[in-house]
Amino acid sequence: MLPGESKSALLALTSGALLLPAYQHAHADAPPEFTNLGLVYGQYREDDITSDKSAGGDSKRMEVDIAHFFLFAPVAEDWSLALDVTWEDMSGASPWFVGQSASGDPKVIMSAASIRDTRTSVSVTTRYYYDRGNAGLNYTRSSEDDYESDAIAFDASFNSADGMQTYSAAVSVSKDTLEPTQGPTPTSTLKDNKDTRSAWVGVTQIVSKRAIVRFGLSYTYSDGFLTDPYKANDQRPDSRKEWAVDAGYRHFLTGLNGAVKVDYRFFDDDWGINSHTIDIAWHQNLGQDLQLIPFLRYYTQAEAEFFSNQVDGTERFFSDDYRLSAFGAISMGLRVRAGIGDWSVNLSGERYRTDEGWGVYGGEESPALVDSWRVSFGLDYTFK
Amino acid sequence: MGGSCSLRIDSEDDADVEKAAVAAEAEVRRLERKFSRFLPDSLVTAINNAAGLGRFIPIDSETEGLLNFADTLWQQSGGLFDPTSGVLRQAWDFRSDKLPRQDSLDRLLPLVGWERVQRGPGSVYLPQTGMELDLGGYVKEYAADAAASVLRSHGMTNALVDLAGDMQAVSSQGNGEAWRIGIRSPGNGDQAVGGLDLTEAGLASSGNYERCINLNGKRYGHILDPHTGWPVEGLAAVSVSASQCLVAGGIATIAMLLPADKALCWITDLGVPFLAVDADQRVVVQGMDTKAELAETFHESLRWLS
Repeated sequence: MLPGESKSALLALTSGALLLPAYQHAHADAPPEFTNLGLVYGQYREDDITSDKSAGGDSKRMEVDIAHFFLFAPVAEDWSLALDVTWEDMSGASPWFVGQSASGDPKVIMSAASIRDTRTSVSVTTRYYYDRGNAGLNYTRSSEDDYESDAIAFDASFNSADGMQTYSAAVSVSKDTLEPTQGPTPTSTLKDNKDTRSAWVGVTQIVSKRAIVRFGLSYTYSDGFLTDPYKANDQRPDSRKEWAVDAGYRHFLTGLNGAVKVDYRFFDDDWGINSHTIDIAWHQNLGQDLQLIPFLRYYTQAEAEFFSNQVDGTERFFSDDYRLSAFGAISMGLRVRAGIGDWSVNLSGERYRTDEGWGVYGGEESPALVDSWRVSFGLDYTFK
Repeated sequence: MGGSCSLRIDSEDDADVEKAAVAAEAEVRRLERKFSRFLPDSLVTAINNAAGLGRFIPIDSETEGLLNFADTLWQQSGGLFDPTSGVLRQAWDFRSDKLPRQDSLDRLLPLVGWERVQRGPGSVYLPQTGMELDLGGYVKEYAADAAASVLRSHGMTNALVDLAGDMQAVSSQGNGEAWRIGIRSPGNGDQAVGGLDLTEAGLASSGNYERCINLNGKRYGHILDPHTGWPVEGLAAVSVSASQCLVAGGIATIAMLLPADKALCWITDLGVPFLAVDADQRVVVQGMDTKAELAETFHESLRWLS
């Protein structure tokens, strides 16, 4: 420090002080200090369907390549702006319908031709910071060859005076239009709409020296065309009500320099599906800048009332979509975060496996249940 | 808040004065409850307890402002002011006559590092278990300003807040005269050894006098260099006046951390009123008055408030 810098030092100290609430009548929250931008590349790969499960069509299931760009920056005194852009390139075949083998076993007939589609999603969030929290307004537009979606969401959070609790709430609406690509397999609609509204409330509480607990409650109502237009045996109700409660617990263990995170979610809807998700992750700090996060997730769901491998087309609703069947799923993976100065590198790999026998709910096993891999590599940069 | 605190309010309406004083005192207590690292339910304790936990602690704009101010102090002092350096006190016992072992300092030094504190929008996170945030270096000064602000908002136009030596004047006295602040000599009654006239401004003091270890003819003061864990060898004491008590306190704190010659040069150049005593007990004054005949006793009896 040189004497000549002193005048600017006084200015810096004074202007720094004057931002504090005691010198203002308005208690405006301070904006974010850092700009953060990053790129993530990811791959999602479904295992090929085996010949004992399939009776026709392409055995190669979906492959998705994902690129994601994000930017988060302070823009004005009390505002921040976030931009998220995602590109996805999808290809492969998907289950068309479930039929029967000569011996009476259910077999999947895959779509004959390879599907190819790209999805682009752009999401913009402006956030305002006030005395005890912040509020954000988000607009997301997602566009595929056969699907357009516009969504608006609003969220707000409020911290208690001692900072020990944070209360949050969010509402969102989306308007989707689907216009299935016409190919060799017929579709169940040419053009249709789907509307979704959802609301969420949550609270985070610091419970002890090294533990935090979080609870959330959400409700979603969708109506419109909720059927998968590419599936031969799919006719779903035109509305769906979904509820979910979730809870999370974080505990830091000093001796191990790591934290355990346990999350649980219960989901229920008026189609007869309910599900339980248990997520367990261990965050291991290794030195200052390296974190290893192995994780394990268990998921089990009950089948929809109208799910069957042998649908009855005279019923009002029916579906042989494996996603509406009863099954259990286990995924396990590892995330690695490494900080290098203002840069951070994120790597992740995850294996997802499903099996009807792993679920806690009984039901018919769908031959179309899918196993998959997911890997990603991301790089982000933080600067002032 | 440590030390005696007082409010002086010149007003004709006793009921209003009473109300304003109660509100100002409540404001000081609120800040103490929120920012004291000694209170188990303070926000600072919550931040410290979450160190290394992997999650940002939500903070309000006031806390964020104080952390931003800490960052300014850190930058302006070239890293000598470090709000995470309080952890070094675990190795030092200034009531004893023993120096800490180097290995106990070496164990604590990796926990010091403001540059590693992660501050997001509306949140803060200490990335390592054992790291501690200590805003004690300037929260008392901020509290003096905040109490003055509460008095103003209650319509008090002439007041003086004194939080154990950190002072903020709301305008002048009721009769239009400046608040006369004396730097007192305890050994010499109420006699001022230095002083200044304060109108709509703050005064803060920092000293390395009271808590120290004297060993083999060397003095080890309680102001520690965050890079080495050992006491700085700078000024013995300084009082500074600025528009806000917080700014005065920040300047005083930085001046104490710098080498004495550099500190005097820097603070003189700032143009703020100050009164400093160096290790050789010489008094340097700018914009304050001191009586020459009292200057000699100054170093012996001055009750520096820290």
